[in-house]
Amino acid sequence: MKKSFFILLLGVFSVLASFAQETIIKGSVLDGTTGEPIPDVTITIEETGQVVRTDANGEFQFPGIIPLGEQVLKIEKIDYETKRYPIVVNEGKTVDISGMTLDYDSSDKKDLFIISISDDNLNSEDDGLTDNISGLLQASRDVFLNAAAFDFSATFFRPRGLDNANGKILINGIEMNKQFSGRPQWGNWGGLNDIQRNQEFTMGMSANDYTFGDLAGSNNIIMRASKYRKGGRISFASANRSYTGRVMASYNSGILEGGWSYSILASRRSGDEGFVDGTLYDSNSFFAAVEKKINEKHSINLTSIYAQNRRGRSTAITQEVFNLKGNTYNPLWGEQDGEIRNSRVREINEPILMLNHFWDISSKIKLNTNVAYQFGTIGNTRVDNGGTRLVDFNGQNSYIGGARNPDPAYYQNLPSYHLRFPNLSPYNYQQAYLAEQDFRNDGQFDWNALYLGNDIARNQGGNSIYAIQEDRNDDSQFSINTILDTDLSDRIRLNANLSYRNLKSENFAELKDLLGGTGFLDVDFFAEETAGGTAVSLEDLAQSDTNNPNRIVQEGDRYKYNYDINADVISAFAQAQFKYNKVDFYLGANFSQTSYQRNGLYENGNFLNNSFGKGEQLDFSNYGVKAGATYKITGRHLIDVNTSYFTKAPTIRNSYSNARQNNNTVTGLESESAQAIDLSYIYRSPIVKARLTAFYSGFENGTDVGFYFTEDLAGLGIDNGDAFVQEVTTNIGRRNIGAELGIEAQITPTIKLKGAASFGQYTFSNNPNLYLTSDNFDGEVRFGDGTTNLKDLHVAGGPERAYQIGFEYRDPDYWWVGATSNFFSNAYVDASGLRRSANFTTDYDGQPIVGYDDDVARGLLQQEQFDDYMLVNIVGGKSWRIDGYYLGFFATINNVFNESFRTGGFEQSRLGTYDRVLEDTSRPNGEVFGSRYFFGNGTTYYLNVYVRF
Amino acid sequence: MNLNKILLLLISLVVFSACVQDDDFETPNVTIVEPTLDGPIVSMSSVAGQVAQSGGLHLFDFDGASNYMEGYVISTDEGGNWFEELIIQDKLENPTVGIKILLDVNPLFTRYDIGRKIYVRLQGLSVGDIDGVLTMGIISNIGNAEKIPAFLEEETIKRSSESGTVVPLNLTFNEFSNDKTNLFVKLEDVQFNRDEVLGAEPKTFASEMSDSFDGERLLESCTTEGSVIFSTSTFADFKSLNLPTTRVSMNVILSKNFFGDAFNVVVNSPEDITFSSSERCDPIELECGIATTTGTNNLFEDDFEGQSTNSLISGNGWTNFIEAGSEGWEAFTAGGTNASQGVSARVGSFNSGDASTIAWLITPQIDLDTNAGVTLNFETSSSFSDGSEMEIVFSNDWDGTEAGVTSATWGLVSDAYVTQDSDFFGDWFESGNVDLSCGSGQIYIAFKYIGSGQSDFDGTYELDFVSIDAQ
Repeated sequence: MKKSFFILLLGVFSVLASFAQETIIKGSVLDGTTGEPIPDVTITIEETGQVVRTDANGEFQFPGIIPLGEQVLKIEKIDYETKRYPIVVNEGKTVDISGMTLDYDSSDKKDLFIISISDDNLNSEDDGLTDNISGLLQASRDVFLNAAAFDFSATFFRPRGLDNANGKILINGIEMNKQFSGRPQWGNWGGLNDIQRNQEFTMGMSANDYTFGDLAGSNNIIMRASKYRKGGRISFASANRSYTGRVMASYNSGILEGGWSYSILASRRSGDEGFVDGTLYDSNSFFAAVEKKINEKHSINLTSIYAQNRRGRSTAITQEVFNLKGNTYNPLWGEQDGEIRNSRVREINEPILMLNHFWDISSKIKLNTNVAYQFGTIGNTRVDNGGTRLVDFNGQNSYIGGARNPDPAYYQNLPSYHLRFPNLSPYNYQQAYLAEQDFRNDGQFDWNALYLGNDIARNQGGNSIYAIQEDRNDDSQFSINTILDTDLSDRIRLNANLSYRNLKSENFAELKDLLGGTGFLDVDFFAEETAGGTAVSLEDLAQSDTNNPNRIVQEGDRYKYNYDINADVISAFAQAQFKYNKVDFYLGANFSQTSYQRNGLYENGNFLNNSFGKGEQLDFSNYGVKAGATYKITGRHLIDVNTSYFTKAPTIRNSYSNARQNNNTVTGLESESAQAIDLSYIYRSPIVKARLTAFYSGFENGTDVGFYFTEDLAGLGIDNGDAFVQEVTTNIGRRNIGAELGIEAQITPTIKLKGAASFGQYTFSNNPNLYLTSDNFDGEVRFGDGTTNLKDLHVAGGPERAYQIGFEYRDPDYWWVGATSNFFSNAYVDASGLRRSANFTTDYDGQPIVGYDDDVARGLLQQEQFDDYMLVNIVGGKSWRIDGYYLGFFATINNVFNESFRTGGFEQSRLGTYDRVLEDTSRPNGEVFGSRYFFGNGTTYYLNVYVRF
Repeated sequence: MNLNKILLLLISLVVFSACVQDDDFETPNVTIVEPTLDGPIVSMSSVAGQVAQSGGLHLFDFDGASNYMEGYVISTDEGGNWFEELIIQDKLENPTVGIKILLDVNPLFTRYDIGRKIYVRLQGLSVGDIDGVLTMGIISNIGNAEKIPAFLEEETIKRSSESGTVVPLNLTFNEFSNDKTNLFVKLEDVQFNRDEVLGAEPKTFASEMSDSFDGERLLESCTTEGSVIFSTSTFADFKSLNLPTTRVSMNVILSKNFFGDAFNVVVNSPEDITFSSSERCDPIELECGIATTTGTNNLFEDDFEGQSTNSLISGNGWTNFIEAGSEGWEAFTAGGTNASQGVSARVGSFNSGDASTIAWLITPQIDLDTNAGVTLNFETSSSFSDGSEMEIVFSNDWDGTEAGVTSATWGLVSDAYVTQDSDFFGDWFESGNVDLSCGSGQIYIAFKYIGSGQSDFDGTYELDFVSIDAQ
């Protein structure tokens, strides 16, 4: 066995005598462990792209004309390690390479990024800063993308500066990206690693059989019962990143008599806290699929996925907090009854059901029709500290109560707040010292204080002052599509897709926990009449629903806001792929029609005329075209080019300025357009595989809606600059330009060297429009010419430059080990749009700020670049065969040297004017409202032990 | 797939299902356990006594175990009308002393409910008269009491399991005194001054454009003389409520203003105000506005140049009547910043020691029926009027005798400008050409001075160039 392995890898196969004049390549593939023949293995002649598959006996033979000379055969099958065999083909001779072996891929590497991906996604603020794309790339065999998926993912690296809203995830051909954010909700199929091994990944915009795709690529996860290899698998994992333990068991029947096949999986992931303190993990996943092959032409598959996940969240912290508490600190949790309780918990509970019909109309025409229904809830909890009680004062109502933000890392609890004055007294130092000591020694959420407050309120007949609010998204989505795949000739293939999806999304806050109180008064504690008086009284303003004023809600009731979004998308896609000897090319186009409509179920007191009932229907027509070609200079040297232009409807999130309170749609809302081109040189010799790509993508008319509290709005008058605002940025132009390189060399049969590099620049290409809305002021507030000076600033989101070198040693004795060293630089903070608008130079009276100094301002607005850092990762594994069972383990240590690093961060817009920012940044003892950062994990491990049968 | 495999699968799941704390947390027990104190308990009055002895800020520094002061919470920041202050008094009923504790904690009402007994660990704290009220905090380098840092709250203030209902102390305005500050007080039968709540734009508690930090509203009594400032924070949740327009009674905390020179009353919440009547108790008013011309027919005038200084005003038809106390209107001259205008008249009870000071200076009778277009002119100045007040009043039914002054009906001549406490003391202010022509019959005009009852907080009013004319 061992010998044949060596021979096969090393040996250049000589010609075997043959009587025929034909040139033939044939052979067979066996399982490296069991020696059983493997059917359905894909064999590719790399130079020509000719493909055959092995039959039931594991044998294959290439039909037609065979290229001569040195060739490389690529042998691949899902679940197995891909191999490349160099051969020499002589005219009129037969190359027979029977007995090639493929080894079962026990690495479980894929588990890893599914872990990191769904975890990051679960923890994300949905702000684009913390979303990780690497899950999309996991199925790729590209050297660079593998580096991006496995080793760069710890730091939110984005290939080509694209985030996961630029990638498409499909399950059985159905698009899974959420219409709300455009991003896939990984938690919906988390914990199902064993049955997600069948994935078809397409890099970038290149030809895809299912979808028009998007710039970061498309990944179709095939979850069909008949496509799973017969057998079962049980695995246990231990880690300290997100969950601490995982157990997973799956069994696939293979194709049984009568054409039936089924597949089941159950897993549980759990942990009291991950690397970051207080981040509980509680997840159960179930999967079942059954397929019936009705006859040679028809198969029907039913797939059901139920991945339920509850996760305690963490949050971005300032440098001061980091210095005091380190990278495991999380202010969101505190102890209750000796248990960790996190105040912000995300719970995802969205089962998916799908029915797939596969129809082989002829050997050349395949039609796949899918119906899917997904329903359930996503909830995010937070502490509501605005509980009040109604005081009737001789017919006038007022709302008494409300408490301060109980966040232990609230700025007033930190030393910098006590040392903010220019002249400090011993008293200030004493306060700062006490604050520091308290924060260092405790710094956690004080649940008891909340219960105590509510207890006092209850004894006085009052309502809860504190409560747990859960922001809910209850979506139900129905999708149907039909996908055509037909070979028009040997050289021309046509793909088409027609699909429709309808989303009904219920959005509301639910009172989750009264924390010992008797009820919660559903009014806005922060409502305030604008000075000078408005026609609406405070009593009306404060109502979340004027149709049911002064309602006292109980646990399980909806309150605060309540609205539905209805979204419909119809889309059509067609693509033709052409294959010739020297060149392959494709052309594709799509068209879609999207509509959104909000239906307000509450009439908000601040927005009496445009909050209740149906709002304007938004309609978007979008189209896209793409084309690409691969030119084969020789079998070793290829040139690949892809180009596309398309428009994309804005997401629901970015279509409404303040959907929780009103029907207002974003002013100046447009579909974003993207144009992209990439040009690659690909080199592949028997030893070296390399790809070098230059890429450009330009985006226009992007939209972004953000929310924050600010103290510094100019031109609204003194004392009126405070507001919780929605910041709407439109007409965003971005330009992503750069190059990426991936190279690997199999220098000996056991040792592989790897290298990857990405060098990019992702910047804003114009000054977008910016306006604010709020319930603290009327209408839309713009500053100066209504733009914000973002041009040439970097779009935040991971390092723009990343480099990797690494190696893998794969011992014939079924163990392997690898290590990579990864260097990152040029990551930037997310720049505040408010600070770069005319608001920055304007005083409260609308006049320029006195003493404004251009040079100083330039320094204040300089976009912060994070420090460089190096992360070293080690992976390894081993497997054994014992009496028909396969036992193995896989382990990894990430960030071996416990490097401390920032993965991302954002400037706070709380301070938004020159004088205030200057004052804060000049404080000798540190900023009070400094930027907030996400810090990367220190050293973490992951260990997985499995048994397969 | 055989049964064994299924079994194995299920067992492995069960074995490994590690428990994660679910989100059903029990409501914790928040019952207060009586704390064990590591030092003796002292009364608030003994603490106040120490201040009196040391005559300034008293710093507590114990060699051994710290003393604890006990008291009952009477303030709440639930409505946002107190900020980082906790006011306690020594007893639930009939209190004798109250102290304001400065505490850098917000909110406080979620820990300290009204009527809760607390123990304050005195070690390191200081107490003294700050801005007119007894205040406790930690000492700062500049000799002030500062807020006790939040991070010392737990060791400094301990809550007792004992709590009860605070019974407000009934007080009238003239019973206000420094030693009654920081007490929970009941004011019976009071109303907001008609300028605050009647008219085109009735005021709110504290959300007028002119309110910064606090809305200060004039509260007057229907039973006794005088008025007091009713103060509400502009951060109060109820600041935008309209003030009650009728007679009310209210539970307040007696305090001082920002400068510590005038009594303020502050409510915890609008619920402290009880609507007792739909009526008001406003004085009768003569309100004819300001006349455009002054007639040439002088009916009465006095520039006091003929009066002998440092003697009570007399002659020229004046009735100079001291209703209460020892002070009356007298003639004087003065130079400097606070100069008289030749000889002027003045009255003031500052440092008089009077329990009450009320002084009248009444003109001769004026006939409004026979004279057309009668106007009144005078000038006033003050020397820190502070708690004292001066009113211009009239009567149609006074019998002309000193004995009959108090039994006659007096109404306000409301258009006459009288210098305000906020005016510069050195300046003289004209009354305006006060029109009296909408009145009728025989009237007397009186300049009435009312002390606050706190003579050390009263001031002086000065009067000159009184002139009553007709067409």
